[in-house]
Amino acid sequence: MVNPGYKNFKGEDWVDPTPPPSHLPHVDEVGSTGAPLKSASFFIGSVCKEYNEDFMLCKSESRDPKHCLLEGRKVTRCAIDVLQKIESNCLEEFRAHWHCLDGKNQEFGRCREPEKTYNACLFKALGWKKTIPGAPTNKPEIHERIPLTK
Amino acid sequence: MPIPFESFIPFAVIAGMFVVTGTGIRYAQTKRNEGKAVRYSLDDWDRKMMVRDKQLTGTFRGQVDNPIAPPEFKVNSSWKVYESLRNDFA
Repeated sequence: MVNPGYKNFKGEDWVDPTPPPSHLPHVDEVGSTGAPLKSASFFIGSVCKEYNEDFMLCKSESRDPKHCLLEGRKVTRCAIDVLQKIESNCLEEFRAHWHCLDGKNQEFGRCREPEKTYNACLFKALGWKKTIPGAPTNKPEIHERIPLTK
Repeated sequence: MPIPFESFIPFAVIAGMFVVTGTGIRYAQTKRNEGKAVRYSLDDWDRKMMVRDKQLTGTFRGQVDNPIAPPEFKVNSSWKVYESLRNDFA
C-alpha cells in the first residue's frame, strides 16, 4: 500500500474527511491487483454467482450508490472468501498462473500450461471446475482442447 | 573488378541504425513496465484496473495477491488530490 504525500504532509496523514456513516457495517476491501483477480475470475464467478447476480440486478434498478450497498458488501466478502480459499489450498500454482498472465498481457490463451496444473489442483482440493458460462456443451471447452501444435 | 568493400559500409551503417532504434525502444518500454512486456489492446476496464493497482502497489504494473486490502486503502484520500496527475493512466 502506497501512501503518496508531500514533504510536510505525509501520505499517512491523508485520511478521508468524509468517511461513510458509522451505522454501515464494516467490510474489508479486496486487496489483490489485476492479474491474481483475473486468474481467480472464473472461480469467483461460479462460486459467488448468486451474490453477483443480485448485485447486477440491484444496479439495474438504480445507479445510486446508496441503493446497492448491502449487495455490494456480500459480493466483496464472497470474493475475499474465494481468494482466501484459493491461497490456502493452491498457493504455488495460483502464483505461477498469475505471474504467467502478468507477463502475457493477461490473456488466458497464452498461459495454458500453468492453468492446467492450477485447475487440477483446485479441483482436487476444493472440487471447483472452471466452466465458461454460455459455452456450447457438445464440444470440449477452449481451455480443455488439445492444441494443434505440440 | 570485384565490388569494393567500402561500398557496403553505408548499408552496415543503416542496418546498425535500425538495431540502435530497436534496442532503444525496447529498453525504454522495459524500463517503463518494470521488466514486463508492454500491455496492449487495453480497454477502459484494464485502464481502471491498472489505476487501482497503482493505489495498491505504487506502480501501474505492480501486483500483489492478498485477499484483504490494508486498512489505509479504504480511507486514504491522497489519491483524490491532483487525481489527474497521480492516477492518470500513461
